[in-house]
Amino acid sequence: MMKYLSKSILLLIFGVAVTCIVYPLVLWVIGQTLFPFQSNGSMLKGPDGKYVGSKLIAQPFTKDEYFQPRPSAASYDASASASSALAASNYGLRDRVGRSLGPVVKYKSGPKAGQLVAPDVESWFSADKYQAKPGIVGQWADQHNSLAQAWVKTDDAHGAYVDDWTKANPKIVAQFIKDNPTTPEPKAPDLAVVFFKDFSEKHPGKFLTATTKTEGGKSVTTIDVIDSGSDIQSTFFLMWREDHPDVELQDVPGDYVTASASGLDPHISMENAQFQLERVASKRAEDLKREPAQIQKEIEGILQENASAPWGGLAGEKFINVLEVNLELDKRYGTP
Amino acid sequence: MTFIQVWLLPIALLVTSTVVAFPLSRYMAWIMDGKYRPPGVFRWFEQRLDSGGQNWKQYLFSLLTFNTLMFVFGFLVLALQPYTPLNPRGLTMLAPSTILSSVVSFMTNTDLQHYSGDQHLSNFSQIFFGIFNLFLSAAIGLAALTAIIRALRSDSSVGNFFVDIWRVLVYMFVPAALIFGLIFITQGSPMTFQTSHDVTTVEAGAMGTTDTGEAKTQTVIVGPVAAFESMKMLGTNGGGFYGMNSAHPFENPTGLSNFFNTLAMMVFPFALVFMFGRMLNRFRHSLVIFVVMFIMMAGTIGWSVYFDTLKPNPGLTGQAVEQKFEVPSAASPGGKLTVSMPAVASLPVEQHQGNLEGKEMRFGVSAGATFDALTTDVTCGAVNAEEDSLNPVAALAPLAGMWLNCVYGGKGVGMINMLTFIIVGIFIAGMMVGRTPEYLGKKIGAREVTFAMIAILVHPVLILLPTGLFAATSWGLAAISNPGAHGFTQILYQFSSATANNGSAFDGLGVTYGFWNAASPGPSAVAFDIAAALSMLFGRFLPIVAPMAMAASLGAKKSSPFGLGTLRDDSVTFGFLLFGTVIIIAGLLFLPVAVLGPVAEHFGPMPFGG
Repeated sequence: MMKYLSKSILLLIFGVAVTCIVYPLVLWVIGQTLFPFQSNGSMLKGPDGKYVGSKLIAQPFTKDEYFQPRPSAASYDASASASSALAASNYGLRDRVGRSLGPVVKYKSGPKAGQLVAPDVESWFSADKYQAKPGIVGQWADQHNSLAQAWVKTDDAHGAYVDDWTKANPKIVAQFIKDNPTTPEPKAPDLAVVFFKDFSEKHPGKFLTATTKTEGGKSVTTIDVIDSGSDIQSTFFLMWREDHPDVELQDVPGDYVTASASGLDPHISMENAQFQLERVASKRAEDLKREPAQIQKEIEGILQENASAPWGGLAGEKFINVLEVNLELDKRYGTP
Repeated sequence: MTFIQVWLLPIALLVTSTVVAFPLSRYMAWIMDGKYRPPGVFRWFEQRLDSGGQNWKQYLFSLLTFNTLMFVFGFLVLALQPYTPLNPRGLTMLAPSTILSSVVSFMTNTDLQHYSGDQHLSNFSQIFFGIFNLFLSAAIGLAALTAIIRALRSDSSVGNFFVDIWRVLVYMFVPAALIFGLIFITQGSPMTFQTSHDVTTVEAGAMGTTDTGEAKTQTVIVGPVAAFESMKMLGTNGGGFYGMNSAHPFENPTGLSNFFNTLAMMVFPFALVFMFGRMLNRFRHSLVIFVVMFIMMAGTIGWSVYFDTLKPNPGLTGQAVEQKFEVPSAASPGGKLTVSMPAVASLPVEQHQGNLEGKEMRFGVSAGATFDALTTDVTCGAVNAEEDSLNPVAALAPLAGMWLNCVYGGKGVGMINMLTFIIVGIFIAGMMVGRTPEYLGKKIGAREVTFAMIAILVHPVLILLPTGLFAATSWGLAAISNPGAHGFTQILYQFSSATANNGSAFDGLGVTYGFWNAASPGPSAVAFDIAAALSMLFGRFLPIVAPMAMAASLGAKKSSPFGLGTLRDDSVTFGFLLFGTVIIIAGLLFLPVAVLGPVAEHFGPMPFGG
């Protein structure tokens, strides 16, 4: 029996030598000599010669002058890849998709065909009636407790705002504790729902938004009461849709609103790029004071040049690499 | 999206793997029968390792001894992570329970990961814990199958464990891993001992800003990815270098790399079936087994592609009118409970490419669904799409792969599982016609059937018991991230994956503790670590030990001549018998939980709750 133990130890040593030393070193030498670009992570350089990212890793773009990658459950953190892991039946998926849709969806038919629905969402929100009952924000928090709680938790400034409200409204908090004896010392997220109900009564047709400014080298976040803007357009699009289920809307490309598996998918579908093309072109034209149609045609050319497809189109549809296209845009039209 | 775009990839994969299986199985049988005369250097190593011919008990003892050593070695590597080199990020030690589950997981070829490689492991750990186990755990499964084959054909010895491992490792796996690793490098997988690049992104500040108002950088983790990736797939291990596995652009950079990635996990399991036939000198018999497995595999792929690629994500479509159902209920007045599914407005999302949540664009339209079905069929466990976000019933395909656990199955053990079904199938057929059942000319007795049934029953017990326990207690409820039936499926998937030694997961389940000093660990991560480790251990070794005892007992019997009444094991009839046995025994056991999980989610309200 001791014989087998000593042979096991020998096999362990040989195994480590072969699989952990010889094998990776051989592959490393081949990779670094024959394919140094790929072996080091397909890093791309910007105009100043510094690395700006990897060709294979998505990075965030927020400005209208750029094509934007797919939503990322990892917040584009390339050291912590992650998917959303949201099931089809999870309201969280529908909510996240709704938030992406709100600011970009357009009417498909009717008198407003081709126009954004966002202004109508705002005016519907100001009227403050959902399913014929008053208090949209209150109903929102009541029906989707987890969303209201998520709002409180997502930002320290949000939590601090609710804490201030807690101090100013001891009566409501006391009532909450009476109704929820299992939570004798409620924290800000616990109070999210009652907070929003109270807010909805006091500020009909209004919502809250956080603005971050840099003052004297420090970033300061303030919470403002608003009656329009992208937070309302995105957060309450789904409820607007439930109130207007039969209105015909233009479809948005699927990959524009769905998160990739890795959170770092560097590509978007050609349809997604075409969907964003008008916005990118008109914004670039505005910056350069040039004819939008002309620029749009040029950018369309860039997209076609960059496009590829799995197995040359035999296994899938065309897509483009967002980082490469945006770098090309900056090269031609300058950094916005 | 044309017919070709959907179906070319799965068909190409199945055809290529089958074609490769013929020559590869010949090569493998040649190696394992010791007919290959290696160059002097390699022979020197073989002689050092050779301890002479072993009987099945000695072989098994060697196997278990070596596994114990692997466990100790793996545990030390992970526990000493703060002190080992190639760790410029200064990563500290994982939680002890996570180390336990990870070491067991990699040692048993499961590779269920309760950590994220990119966040939690240094390159040293990735190599000396990761790559080492990827090679060795796969080799051990293959060696176990070889020993069982030798026992079945009544060899005087079942071989020598240490020599077998060396041969599998050096003459099969390392060359194959080098070839595939090189392919992955050309496509864009990094192969470096560096750890990361910090870059200021093109739109500075889009990553957010620090407290002092400076733009945050993006940290791109690199490493010896190509070396890891090729063996991860070839060894049907499936544990990723990165958290998101083969969906990560560095592990799987292009549509072409995805083909080879998927192919890599299929070639050895396909070839092993023919190796079984060649070594027993009954190739036609193995061809029948191969066809049965092939049909089941094609079925799971077809199912998953149909429901995931050809159907939209039901969470984004609408339901025009409210639906009401009356169900019997003892608790409600009148004995009937009315369940209503409210009307839901549809969202303006274009879904002609199917469900894109949790999919990558570059692989091809059906690549995610195909990969997800295949990965559990061959017990690999890598994923190139998020399984948690699959359409509800599409997730039945990967679940079925784990429940059957013999649709080619993992390295060696898949074929071993199939062997137990063969014995039980023949036994049942023998009972039906009233004749003593025989396999390979040997009479199947009570002892063989007992061992086969142990191996088969371990599987449902180790899946269903912990699933029930966790679903009924706060351990499970604190970990699920999706409401309703899907939350149940998350727990079910976790233990199916652990017991089948698969390693894929519904990633939303909160099983990650993280480093030992983690600020906010998963609330029941420790319970999941320990329960999964136990499921993996017993799910791995009982189905190796019991069939080996069965094969030894069968091989020791005298051969009886082939007669008119003997059930032919190379006929179509036998194929149907085997198919029926697998589906009825393995499939029906799991029907109730399938209904409680994915099926209930499919028919239930969408979205479920707020």
